[in-house]
Amino acid sequence: MRITERRIGHSIILDLVGELTYANRTAFKGAIERSKQAGCRHLILNMEGVRFLDSSALGMLALLSQSLKVTQGVVSLLNPQSYVREIISLANLHRMLPVYNTEQDALAGYSLPAAG
Amino acid sequence: MAHPAQHRVERAAAVEAAKPAPVILLVDDDDITRTSMAARLKRLGYRVIEAGDGDAGLAATRTHRPNLIILDWMMPGLDGPSVCEAIRADAELKSSHVVLMTAHDRPDQIAEGLSRGADDFLSKAASKQEVLARVQASLRSSALVREIERTRDDLDLSNRLLSAKQEELECELQSAAEFVQSQLPQPGMPAPGLAMQWAYQPSLALGGDLFQVSQWGTDTLGLYILDASGHGVAAALRAIALMSFLREDNLAKAVGSYDPGAIINEANRRFPLTQEGEYFTLWVGRLHLPSRALFYAAAGHGGAFVHSTTRASQWLSSTSLPLGFDSEATFETACTQLSLHDRLYLLSDGIYEVPSASGELWGRTRLQDTLEASRHLSLEQCIGETMTTARQWLGGDIFPDDVALVGLEVLEDSVPVRRES
Repeated sequence: MRITERRIGHSIILDLVGELTYANRTAFKGAIERSKQAGCRHLILNMEGVRFLDSSALGMLALLSQSLKVTQGVVSLLNPQSYVREIISLANLHRMLPVYNTEQDALAGYSLPAAG
Repeated sequence: MAHPAQHRVERAAAVEAAKPAPVILLVDDDDITRTSMAARLKRLGYRVIEAGDGDAGLAATRTHRPNLIILDWMMPGLDGPSVCEAIRADAELKSSHVVLMTAHDRPDQIAEGLSRGADDFLSKAASKQEVLARVQASLRSSALVREIERTRDDLDLSNRLLSAKQEELECELQSAAEFVQSQLPQPGMPAPGLAMQWAYQPSLALGGDLFQVSQWGTDTLGLYILDASGHGVAAALRAIALMSFLREDNLAKAVGSYDPGAIINEANRRFPLTQEGEYFTLWVGRLHLPSRALFYAAAGHGGAFVHSTTRASQWLSSTSLPLGFDSEATFETACTQLSLHDRLYLLSDGIYEVPSASGELWGRTRLQDTLEASRHLSLEQCIGETMTTARQWLGGDIFPDDVALVGLEVLEDSVPVRRES
């Protein structure tokens, strides 16, 4: 799995390419951890290049959503493709993680709560 | 006070001095030549063992395992090349370093000696310096060979220990797998008028998919199938933990009801995501035997399938989160009616998420087609046929995920289950 990080405003976009599976969890978790440590409150996972998602990855995404929620952060999914979109839908994960079709929509879908 | 560098030199010298002197076996029938060479080698600091003929040399080789053997070519009985051959033919001795000593150094003689097992040659007319140089070179080679042998022996020992440990672990895994399998229901008649058969094939020795069909209270049959994410020991242990929660006596205490939605709501609270993001999917059913009303609820599980002879087939699944994804999620109970001769299948996603050689998944539609097409077969044969078709799609026998397929068939009017209190 190839992961590229882009920072746009208060959001971080992780462009994921390849298979998001148990075998790739270390790389994925590492990228997530770096984003969290950078103080990211809105993490956008660009799923356009993800060909496959296994049950372990679903758990990682749910865990990520829970952990960011604690710090009032949000995780969004961007443009998952056919099979991956179906898996997310079957697991009802879109109830926890908002899914957007465009980067603009994803970036606009979250605004930081007023400071203080 | 001595300088540290001087200490290091002294320590190195002491270590060197503590090493035993290399052992050289000298085999020559000529007493004068042998005694003279032995004295020369002893002066150089080596421990020398002498033998007066080939047989004695071979015996001394076995007894002393010398670092170097210097053999005269011409000897009565076993000559030098014959001793070489005997050494190379002996598994214990074959790596010995052998130098043949000759009065001549004809090329054809050297070729013969090498082909019969000698490592090097030494002329009887060699100077003191040449003898020292050849002995030292031979001892270096011999030391390297012994080092390789020691390493090989260490590796052999490690391999034997690893194999023993592996065997022990496999025995433990097998024992654990037998325990897990013993938790599954016995095929047969879980209730009067209801037949049950199943197939179960974990992807590893231990599976994270488990199921149960058992009585839950009076007149009611409890059914569930669960899938712990991941595979192997950890998934199996977590699956057993959920299975314990789903025991009839525990449900009565922990949930206070056998309602599938209530059971899953409680399980959702009790089984959060692990720190590694591991979780369960679960389908729970409650069959009221007198009325054949089937109440069910699911948490992210692919669910169950009803094949009826009188109406359209029906998948009993719902879009729902797996357990632990959202502690505030609620899971609703749905209801369907089973009829005489209906077949209800509980199944893990591993049975239909089977990839072909090209990566195409078998899918629920093909699974449904196979189950429906096999309706004329007995329940046991139908399940067997479905497993065979899935394996054919896969092109192999080992599924990538745990596979469970449980079938129940309504045979006749059920007699309500009454249990003595």
